[in-house]
Amino acid sequence: MAERIETSIPRFEAPEKTGGLAQYIADIPFQNMLYARTLRSERARARIVSIDIPQMPEGYITVDSSDAPASNRSHMIEDDWPFFAEGVVNHVGEPILLVVGPDKAEIVRLLSEIEVQYEDLEPVLTIEESIAADKPFFGDRNIMAEYVIEKGDTEKAFGQAEHVFEDEYHTGIQEHVYLEPQGFVAVYEDERMVVYGSMQCPFYVKNVLVQAFGWDEKRIRVVQTVTGGGFGGKEEYTSILAGHAAFASYKTGHPVQLILDRAEDISVSTKRHPSTCRYRTAVDDDGRLTALQAHVQLDGGAYVGLSAVVLQRAMLMAAGVYNIPNVRITGEVIATNNIPSGAFRGFGAPQALFAVEMHLHSLAEKLGEDPLDFKMRNALEKGDTTASCGRMHHEVKLPEMVRTLEHMSGYREKRHSHRKQSSRMLKGIGASLFFHGCSFTGSGEQDKIKAVVKLRKRKDGLVEILVSSAEIGQGPQTTLRKIVSHTLGIPVMRVVYKNPDTDRVPDSGPTVASRTVIIVGALLEKAAADLAERMHEAGEIEVTKQYEQPDYICWDQDALKGDAYPTYSWGANVVEVEVDPATFEIRITGLWGVYDVGTPIDEQVVLGQIEGGMAQGLGYATLEVMEMKNGRPMQANLTDYIIPTAGDYPRMQVALVKNSYEYGPFGAKCVGELPFLGAAPALASAVEHALGQSINRIPVTPEYLMEAVEHDHPIHPEQ
Amino acid sequence: MTIRFTLNSREVEIDTDPLRRLLDVLREDFGLTGVKEGCGEGECGACSVIIDGELANSCIVPVGTVQDAVILTIEGYRETERYRVIEESFAAEGSVQCGFCTPGFVMAAEVLLSKNPTPDEKAIREAISGNLCRCTGYHMIVEGIARASRTGAKLWAKPTDR
Amino acid sequence: MGKTYRPLSLDEALEMAEAENALPLAGGTDLMVQNRSWSGLPPYMKRPVLFIGHLKELQGVHAEGDGLVIASATTLTAILRNERIPSLLKEAVRSIGGPAIRSRATLGGNICNASPAADTLPPLYVLGAELVLRRKNGTRTVPVASFMQGPGKTVLKRGELLTAVRLPAMEPAITFYRKVGTRSSNALSKLSIAAAADSEKGVVTDVGIALGAVAPTVVCSPDAENLMRGRTAAEIRGELYRILDAYNCKLKPIDDQRSSSLYRLKASFRLILSFIGTVLLPALEENT
Repeated sequence: MAERIETSIPRFEAPEKTGGLAQYIADIPFQNMLYARTLRSERARARIVSIDIPQMPEGYITVDSSDAPASNRSHMIEDDWPFFAEGVVNHVGEPILLVVGPDKAEIVRLLSEIEVQYEDLEPVLTIEESIAADKPFFGDRNIMAEYVIEKGDTEKAFGQAEHVFEDEYHTGIQEHVYLEPQGFVAVYEDERMVVYGSMQCPFYVKNVLVQAFGWDEKRIRVVQTVTGGGFGGKEEYTSILAGHAAFASYKTGHPVQLILDRAEDISVSTKRHPSTCRYRTAVDDDGRLTALQAHVQLDGGAYVGLSAVVLQRAMLMAAGVYNIPNVRITGEVIATNNIPSGAFRGFGAPQALFAVEMHLHSLAEKLGEDPLDFKMRNALEKGDTTASCGRMHHEVKLPEMVRTLEHMSGYREKRHSHRKQSSRMLKGIGASLFFHGCSFTGSGEQDKIKAVVKLRKRKDGLVEILVSSAEIGQGPQTTLRKIVSHTLGIPVMRVVYKNPDTDRVPDSGPTVASRTVIIVGALLEKAAADLAERMHEAGEIEVTKQYEQPDYICWDQDALKGDAYPTYSWGANVVEVEVDPATFEIRITGLWGVYDVGTPIDEQVVLGQIEGGMAQGLGYATLEVMEMKNGRPMQANLTDYIIPTAGDYPRMQVALVKNSYEYGPFGAKCVGELPFLGAAPALASAVEHALGQSINRIPVTPEYLMEAVEHDHPIHPEQ
Repeated sequence: MTIRFTLNSREVEIDTDPLRRLLDVLREDFGLTGVKEGCGEGECGACSVIIDGELANSCIVPVGTVQDAVILTIEGYRETERYRVIEESFAAEGSVQCGFCTPGFVMAAEVLLSKNPTPDEKAIREAISGNLCRCTGYHMIVEGIARASRTGAKLWAKPTDR
Repeated sequence: MGKTYRPLSLDEALEMAEAENALPLAGGTDLMVQNRSWSGLPPYMKRPVLFIGHLKELQGVHAEGDGLVIASATTLTAILRNERIPSLLKEAVRSIGGPAIRSRATLGGNICNASPAADTLPPLYVLGAELVLRRKNGTRTVPVASFMQGPGKTVLKRGELLTAVRLPAMEPAITFYRKVGTRSSNALSKLSIAAAADSEKGVVTDVGIALGAVAPTVVCSPDAENLMRGRTAAEIRGELYRILDAYNCKLKPIDDQRSSSLYRLKASFRLILSFIGTVLLPALEENT
């Protein structure tokens, strides 16, 4: 193969998607299909005293917790999350029952006639209320998970510290807003339950259904349909919806379609964990960090889901890209009667990285130093130990990245010149440094997932990839095919890769944690290397590979000590803004990013992740407000929940640095989540620079800025 | 109510509740599932169609208001040479990720280029300001449209420009 | 199925509006969202619906004397394409929704929907627009400032339709428009301000300021305007505190899902000062 693997090729599914031919779940007709709509809790916490259901006409039924054949719990890590409320509701929007039938108007009418009698219980709607509650609703303290990560002796270091700094940071809720709302169709036929839908993790769905039905796994089949975006929102919540549709199909004997309306999706599906992070750091006279203490609090909402792992990742990222000899990071996920929080691009890292970057930025300014200089002095290098006493096994390219970044953006000059504010608009520029641990935290890949891939040379000579990785827009249809084609030395058009169907593919793990290329792709590379020796053989050949953890990785899951991740991808961002002094509207005037993602398997796919991740990160930083009022989101539709449009940001300048990873396919690492992480702290630092005002929360809205500035310099006394 | 209109170059007639959303009529009565529902509130543009030469969000158009109108959906448009230029340009520039928003952007691009065959970046961004994308960050879509305007220049040029 | 009517002429429409107390629907961009039901179902309308968007009598812009008449079902896109429309109104219209909304939404719809955040109202107030209301048996004209009584409430009587918007001859020398939206495009207003003025030899001959989304209806202050009318730049500078005070009494912003009352209040003051300080006063000083 003469061409470098990095060279972009047109994405496989682009033509069918562009022409409207791709079939998403709502586009697929099923014979004799029924519709399902959900009756949801109006209360944040209550006992259901009674439900008055009108006489159901012929052909219409309800489905509730009593219809779960074996288990009404959707198993993620724990078994606390019910498909349907069991006499108690713990958040507004919690499913109580479905009405299922052939005519939508009739279903709506029937739903409107159902009356639920609630006995109100005291909800806890904030972290503070939850901690103070004398009757916890989750466990014995409303704590879903808590951990400690420790290295060295922070107390001693603080005792000797020359300078100590303390800060507190808050990050808000974020909704994924994948353009395609969540949806499933379940079909019970020939004693099997087949579930089609928009999802990231076919085997997560299958395993949940196996437990829910109590059947042999051969009787459950899960098929991913073309999926219009996920971002983590279709990682665990999909299991609840699949269960709903499946119970309904089993009960009626018909295919049942359950597709969420956008407003419903925004109001009830999982959201990014809002956080409060408290930092305390010690710095010596040479400008070196000697100790860092951080306390991470996440609001888990009403059910655990994956919150424990989100907390772990947040804590493992909480010391940032910095080499600190003494570290103590504590954290907890607190249960509240809000929408359950779940997976979302970054998975805890955005919250922690926002806090540590802003904290270091702020303390550098207090010390009279440029934040980038201070940060680089303290940055990790190869051989250093991480916060969890793991090792930086690989080259850290931050110095080269920051040099490139400064050159591209003119950061230094602008840090000085923008302060001299000559124009009407207030200009500012800020930078952030960040990283992302590739693939599952700790021993997840080895102990839990144990990914298996298959590569099959067909009789017709085409080679088929058999994995459970889902194309959700991030490019595996293209990148995984390229890996196989380049290894085998065959044209990429001769590699087949269909959307995963659990009947046909092994479990290569979920499409999450930026693991698809680095773990699944690496296994496919190995399989292809084996197959390469046998391509000349006649007939069908199948090669199977299973994940084996590289020897250099050392991890103690109980103590949370050691190499939390096999390797890291790295990023550095600069954001430039103009703030309107009258309205505090923020206009982003410049965006720069330099990234180390190992070898980019396809440059355009990688760039697409970078640009998309940056935009989504900037939305998180400035626009995406979701406020809860009595457990209900105030921004509950796409008119009110604001995501960026094409008019909001300028094009981004991007550079990649080379840093091949020996265990990654062709040297690749990970990129799916990384580019999201640097946006918020770079943006917030830029706004701080523009206003000379400290920022400790996101989203940074004009309202927040107005309140902060007016507090000190009111324009006119209020009425 | 009986409603007659031209749909993808065919004269059609239906007898239906005029308050039904055009989106539902297209998807259910005509099987045109390339027109997507992303929000049902006229905010995301995934349901974009072209009515009498103008972009419209079919999820908030009552079918009773398209009497005698000329309607073009992605299904009709994809038969044209202009579409092929856009499809190629989008593929070349990486404009497509999950694809759910893409047909809507194609229709927005067609409306833009038919009125302004040589748009600058600002004009492109304004023309797609009512279409939401969550995957790309928009830049590659803007480049896709810009490329189409260059490679397909003759196809959109106004008669007086030729 | 909800009842619907499709008249073939304006006269027929007025008959039907009177007889059935029907809800007029032109573009439907507000009504279809406000009344939406489950995907696949038509919206649930509380009253019979009267389609009027197709009526020729309700389309178009034409000159009348020195002024302009905009028929009420003229789409926002058509307004943007018409050269005669005053720039102040165009700026506001340009900021509404995106291209797909503007091609269906109408001026009349924006006015009659009577949202406190309606973007066309502040410029119409400043331009002194008059609304032509027709019933089966008569026509009346009301100043735009008297039309909206509160959120969703207008002076329209049963059977009455807004048929046209009259704009007097006006292209003010000094104009100012700012909409603070939830994002750069396709956004609802947190607040908006439209202002216009004329001057002669450094003295304000006329001035109007209107603020939207900061009270149940559009906010104007004749008291504040009187403090600027007939004055020079220096005199106005001395009155800034009293000017803001006059608006302070009328601003009644709320906290909602888009913004906070504090923000709306303070941003209003700042934008009023911005108009006066960066546009009005320099124009007066140049003009002396």
